[in-house]
Amino acid sequence: MNLAPILVTLGGGLLALILAIYFWMSASRGGRRTQAVFFTILAVVLLIVAAGLGWQRLGPNASSQQLVVVPRGPVQVRVLVALPVEPWVREAARQFNEKGLRQDGQPIEVQVTAMDGLAALGKFDRNEFGALTANQTRDQLSAQERQKLETTFPTVWIPDSRYLVELANALYKERLSRDVFLTDGEYRARPIAVSLFTWGLYSSRAAALEKKFGKIDWQVIHDAAIAKGGWPELGGDPAWGFFKLVVPNPRRNVGGLAAMIAAAGEYYDKPNISVAEVTDPQFQKWLKELMGALTDVGGASAYTAEDFALFGYSVGDGGQLLESDLLNNMAGIQKRWADPLVIRYPKYVTWFDFPFSIWMGPETTAAEKNAALQFEQFLLSTEMQKLAVAQGLRPVNNQVSITAGDNLFVQWQSQGIEAVVPRTTRMATPSRDVLQALLRWFDLNVGK
Amino acid sequence: MSRRKKNQQQVATRLLVGILGILLVMCVVLGITGISVLIESFRQPGQPAASPEVNTHNATLTIAVSPEKAVLLKNLADKFNARNLRTPDRQPMRIELIELKPDEMVEKALAGQAPFQALTPDSSLWLDQLNYRYAQAQQTEPGAIPPRLTGDGVRYAVTPIVIAAWENSARSLGWPDKAVGWTALQTRAQQDANFKWNHPSTAHASGLLATLAEFYAGAGVQRGLTAEMAQDPKTLEFVSSIEKTVRYYGEGELTVIQRAAQEGPKYLDAFVTPEQLLVAFNTGVFGKPPARLIALYPAEGTLWADHPLALLEMPEPTANQRRTFQAFREYLASAEVQKEILRAGYRPADLSLSLTGPDSPLTAANGVDPMQPKTTLQLPSPDVVVVVQNAWAVTKRRANVMLVVDTSGSMRGEKLANMQIALRTFLTQIPSDQERIGLVEFNTTVTSIIELDTLAKNRGALLREIDGLQANGNTAFLDAVRTAYRRLQQSSDGERINAIVAMTDGRENASVITLQQLVAEIRAGNQKTPVIIFSVAYGSDADMKILEALAEASGGQVRIGTPETIRELYKILSSYF
Repeated sequence: MNLAPILVTLGGGLLALILAIYFWMSASRGGRRTQAVFFTILAVVLLIVAAGLGWQRLGPNASSQQLVVVPRGPVQVRVLVALPVEPWVREAARQFNEKGLRQDGQPIEVQVTAMDGLAALGKFDRNEFGALTANQTRDQLSAQERQKLETTFPTVWIPDSRYLVELANALYKERLSRDVFLTDGEYRARPIAVSLFTWGLYSSRAAALEKKFGKIDWQVIHDAAIAKGGWPELGGDPAWGFFKLVVPNPRRNVGGLAAMIAAAGEYYDKPNISVAEVTDPQFQKWLKELMGALTDVGGASAYTAEDFALFGYSVGDGGQLLESDLLNNMAGIQKRWADPLVIRYPKYVTWFDFPFSIWMGPETTAAEKNAALQFEQFLLSTEMQKLAVAQGLRPVNNQVSITAGDNLFVQWQSQGIEAVVPRTTRMATPSRDVLQALLRWFDLNVGK
Repeated sequence: MSRRKKNQQQVATRLLVGILGILLVMCVVLGITGISVLIESFRQPGQPAASPEVNTHNATLTIAVSPEKAVLLKNLADKFNARNLRTPDRQPMRIELIELKPDEMVEKALAGQAPFQALTPDSSLWLDQLNYRYAQAQQTEPGAIPPRLTGDGVRYAVTPIVIAAWENSARSLGWPDKAVGWTALQTRAQQDANFKWNHPSTAHASGLLATLAEFYAGAGVQRGLTAEMAQDPKTLEFVSSIEKTVRYYGEGELTVIQRAAQEGPKYLDAFVTPEQLLVAFNTGVFGKPPARLIALYPAEGTLWADHPLALLEMPEPTANQRRTFQAFREYLASAEVQKEILRAGYRPADLSLSLTGPDSPLTAANGVDPMQPKTTLQLPSPDVVVVVQNAWAVTKRRANVMLVVDTSGSMRGEKLANMQIALRTFLTQIPSDQERIGLVEFNTTVTSIIELDTLAKNRGALLREIDGLQANGNTAFLDAVRTAYRRLQQSSDGERINAIVAMTDGRENASVITLQQLVAEIRAGNQKTPVIIFSVAYGSDADMKILEALAEASGGQVRIGTPETIRELYKILSSYF
């Protein structure tokens, strides 16, 4: 235990006391009393402080009690955010914090932690954030557990897609018999931006494929993936090697799961996919052949759009990726690899809507929940939605357009970006069983 | 009152006022300190009394860094620390570095007592392996989301793994007219006994890549390598035949390229290394290059060293350490640092920086092509990678190593005791019991010989001999080396690496053979069965002229050790076999 503060204050107090005695003695011999009074007051104050510190550090409840009522700090909004919207949300949080807004008289501080939606779901599943059990209250926690809750438990989760929220609710419904993220009311999970999954291919590779097969779709990609002779067989340069598919590892990035759902939609030519269909041996054979073209089976990266840009055509000729990620990397790819990407929209489209989901359990305070609402409103403001568009995301605020101004959507129209995507069919949100069947299949057949 | 007495009173009064002033200042300072401590303690609601061992406010982040970029990271960490950033609760954000090989990072993190909170190995494949093994230990069911020991890695610099070849060697392999690949290199090494190449052990990304390429070739596939294929006897036989052409292994890419800078083309004809080190070599970072190295981007595909930086989640870092991580991550992504990373020969993560611009060292003149590589080798899943690593330990080129140990009188005391520890460490570090090790002890004459045999049979005898070493007499170093050399020549085992690790701490003064005679014998004998001599100068009195001559004649190395470093040196030397 560190006793230095007590000893230092006590020393100061005793010194002041000695001086006070000296001056009182001087005063009794006709000296001035002002100094004597001053040192007396100083000695009393310091000795009281020393006693207070001593009580706090050495008293019977030293480890768990404070001497006086603890003043309240800022209201923290801890936001767990999906990787594709992290730069936007982080910048928004910075601007929000600078505004100095308050909740219940206390300043609000938004803290952002980036985490892939599936990774976060896994942490919720394993209760690594330390959520309370059905019979537990905050008062029952030890000081250490309470501190962990107050510094790390997420106030808000912004996963990639609302189906992750539904999966989390399903998990907690079994444990707590209630939803932890609401689907209606003031605190409901609300999308803050949208991004679609599109085909992104290096233009040299796209030209070869389109020449041989016509319009790019999952079947074309499958046929390219199984070409035993690699690119020479597909009409490309032998130096390109085999056709390399870029799809995130669904164990590391929920985008990979979205890609498998989209592939299933095209395979069956319908937007609703059942467990029976994803477990059909014919479909699984087709999917395995497709996944055989992945460059990194182990999933070295959680974030494949970054791979696509950093490692260029060496790791992937093309793949189905998030439009916003592709848009953010278009210029960099063109600069580094001298071969721009082209964008093609699939027939069955999947998308992420990044729901702002406020945790509704007792792990966070009412003030934190309300402060989170303030931050949500800030993200939905016109100014922040424009910032989202600047980062390649589609806004959810109708006041903001993606066709006006010099934004990434306008800038890359020549490469195939479409502001309005009218010819596609929206894939229905798959059930939890379908998602788990696909993940299990991936574990056992590709990523094992 | 006399004037003198009056003056004395004035002096005493001034002295008293001065003392009182000082005491007043001390009171105020002590008081303010105490009060501020009390106020600070009120500002930390709900904090348990922190023990000295666990500082929950700690904002110092220790990062494990792989050796090849330790210098760059140290420079960047120093600059970051000089910024004196602080957390919201006024704790100083500091970065400290610890240099570790990637496989050591994995082992320490899995053991749960890692002396670091973040890591930046040379490749993400180590993070995959770490998380894979951690999830396995947690016994995650298929379909469940596996737990991870690290957060998502961020990248600040990447570089492809290439085959570095001297310009003449590169041309002889077909560069620049045709694409050169792993097959061309392996074929050349098998057909030309004088062709010397090397790759690091699978503890490095470049070593793992080279080994993976051999397994792909051995399995006869270019994608979809499975554990079954990797363990197939035919694949193992093929890999073994390729590995027999490896000159020797070693400490890692950095040491290999440093030696290439010292010794030039006679050292190796080709070796596997990250592109960045090749650029550094050609731009004179390791001294004036003896010749130009060319980066050959394997036609079958390569891998990228992507240098991820990731936070270790167990034991959980403090909130302030997370803040420091975030601040350092942002610092690494800043334009100023990204330009520095490019100048160091890496490809920066910032795509707005041109690799072909005037500030970029990634030029044809420096032996590289920034538009390469065109394709990568498929990286199998972590379980297959583990199988390949384990299988490599079986298929790697085996070694015959004679340890020559000086026990002359000058070795008495701490020197000999530390030498004994070093020798034991050497035996412990040798990865396989199938390696053959022998020992020659000498002082005035050769006093004891443990004949070459596999460690499985020889370990006990070697340890007994090491434990019983006693210092006495003169130094017949050359005679001892000749004894070891003749043993290796007599075994005439060209399939294995044949090496002598010869240590002495003093001047030669008792041998029958002369240096010239021994050098001539080595030069002649090595035509038949090459034996490499690693000469170890132990302390400052060792005869460097003799040690250098022996190393030079055999294509070996001279290493310098002290009682403080000898154990680490022998540990390093063990990585060559």
